[in-house]
Amino acid sequence: MRLYVRKERTSYILMIPILLLIIVIFAYPVIRTFILSFFKISFGASETRYVGLANFKNIIRNQTYWQALTNSLYWTFGNLLVQLSIPLFIAILLNKRIRGINFVRAIIMIPWIVPAVTIAVCMRWMLLPKIGIINEMLDSMNIMKKQIHFLGHRFTVMPTLILLNSWKFLPFGTLMILAALQTIPAETYEAAEVDGASGFQKFRYITLPLVGSMIWFVGFLAFSWNFNTFDLIWLTTQGGPGTRTQTLSILIYRTAFKTFRLGEASAISVTVAILLIIIGVFYFKYLTPKE
Amino acid sequence: MYRSKGLKKIVTILIVVITLILILWPFFYIFVSSFKPLREIMARAKFFPKNLTIRNYRTLIIARTPVRNFPRILYNTLVVSSLTAALSIVISCISAYGISHNRRLMRGMVSRLMLFIYVFPTIILLIPIYKMFTMIGLYNSFLGLIIIYTALVAPFCTWLLVSFFETIPRELEESAQIDGASGITTFIRIILPLASPGIITVGAYSFITAWGEYMFALVMISESIKKTAALGLATFTAEQYIEWGPLLAGSILIIIPVFILFLPVSKFFIKGFTAGAIKG
Repeated sequence: MRLYVRKERTSYILMIPILLLIIVIFAYPVIRTFILSFFKISFGASETRYVGLANFKNIIRNQTYWQALTNSLYWTFGNLLVQLSIPLFIAILLNKRIRGINFVRAIIMIPWIVPAVTIAVCMRWMLLPKIGIINEMLDSMNIMKKQIHFLGHRFTVMPTLILLNSWKFLPFGTLMILAALQTIPAETYEAAEVDGASGFQKFRYITLPLVGSMIWFVGFLAFSWNFNTFDLIWLTTQGGPGTRTQTLSILIYRTAFKTFRLGEASAISVTVAILLIIIGVFYFKYLTPKE
Repeated sequence: MYRSKGLKKIVTILIVVITLILILWPFFYIFVSSFKPLREIMARAKFFPKNLTIRNYRTLIIARTPVRNFPRILYNTLVVSSLTAALSIVISCISAYGISHNRRLMRGMVSRLMLFIYVFPTIILLIPIYKMFTMIGLYNSFLGLIIIYTALVAPFCTWLLVSFFETIPRELEESAQIDGASGITTFIRIILPLASPGIITVGAYSFITAWGEYMFALVMISESIKKTAALGLATFTAEQYIEWGPLLAGSILIIIPVFILFLPVSKFFIKGFTAGAIKG
């Protein structure tokens, strides 16, 4: 019994480092953001003044805020749609026993391990009109005769960025779903075939329920990564053209570090945090698959 | 029957190859283009270079200025990423071991909580961390970046390792302790080797994340001499006239180290990552 109690105490002690990190880098900043959102702060932190809800009133009246919110939702859910459907499709294709599949699984990870900066700067070059390879390919395949300024046109910019971002995420999602698929024994499918199940029925009643918890997990990671995306957007368009790709992340950064209104940026952060907590709780509470 | 099976296999391999090409061709294109002379880079795109040159690489490495010093930023990134990986391995191993050995806590809850943290977008942490680090002197320092990066990855790594430690039979530890091994000896000699795929995964994940991180580096680092690779590469594009040649060469050079690190451990990584996720 003594040993048991001692181990219990040790286990709490062992958790101190991670708790400390979480408190310093996550909990404290979140609380601090809430507090800062009630202040008017001039950069340099020498002068702060309590202004109550003024920051919130300002942002709500501001059209760019609502535009950024819409952009963020468009961005996040657009990405999720691509990132959950295509990897599922590719994972089913790759769920085969062939020689060298381990090597395939390793090199397919490349887009995921490559820094977003690389993808952003190289793609800017590849997507240019007149000299970019993408336009050249579309041209030579006779799909598009006109040169498209992918990142400069307000209709093409968001879909282009969503595709780029999803491409970076795709290998990761694919591998995760593939791993879940591989836990399904082949006999299950064979038994279903004997019972006369069609391909779609097998997918609907065997595959989907069994990879459900993995899709839940991938969906969660994808959601938080997407909502967070800053580098890819900032390094390709900086939120432009106009405010077409200005998501909330971009807006917060711009407000805080370009126009130096830290209080207002904190207020935007608070609304984002509240929105995400609601979505997060909903996701964990209602969408977690039951075992 | 036999023939149709062979055909099926060929079709499968074909599909795999096509998928791979569709996903990976841009990297191959960037790689071959980094050897193109400038006039080919700035002309109508041809996939393969007509003339090969290593000038882009030479410009990048030899033409150093205080503002643009590519070897230096590669070195900086290497330092920051390795130390982040080391620190996050140590912290997440210790914490995960603690969590998996606590009988009173609801382990599922705690490790779910580690994931729930990621609901908060890192961008909302930016301003307070910036102010806090300026105050305590961690602004514009590698140590500051390392602490931030470790904190960003450690909860996830802990969550991953908890599921690893739980698969290790408790009897192994108990019998080691009966043989007279201390708690620390058991942990180092028995637990860590058995969890090594998980530890490699955690290290690689931390390294990759730190290697490519841009947002915190952008806000926290002000001196050119301290820039990390992602930040340094991005500064090249902020100039009035973008030199695409050295930029492509630089892109290739910052991919190579992660690639070299990742390929040998990819088997563990994929196994470790997916195992953690499946056990959830």
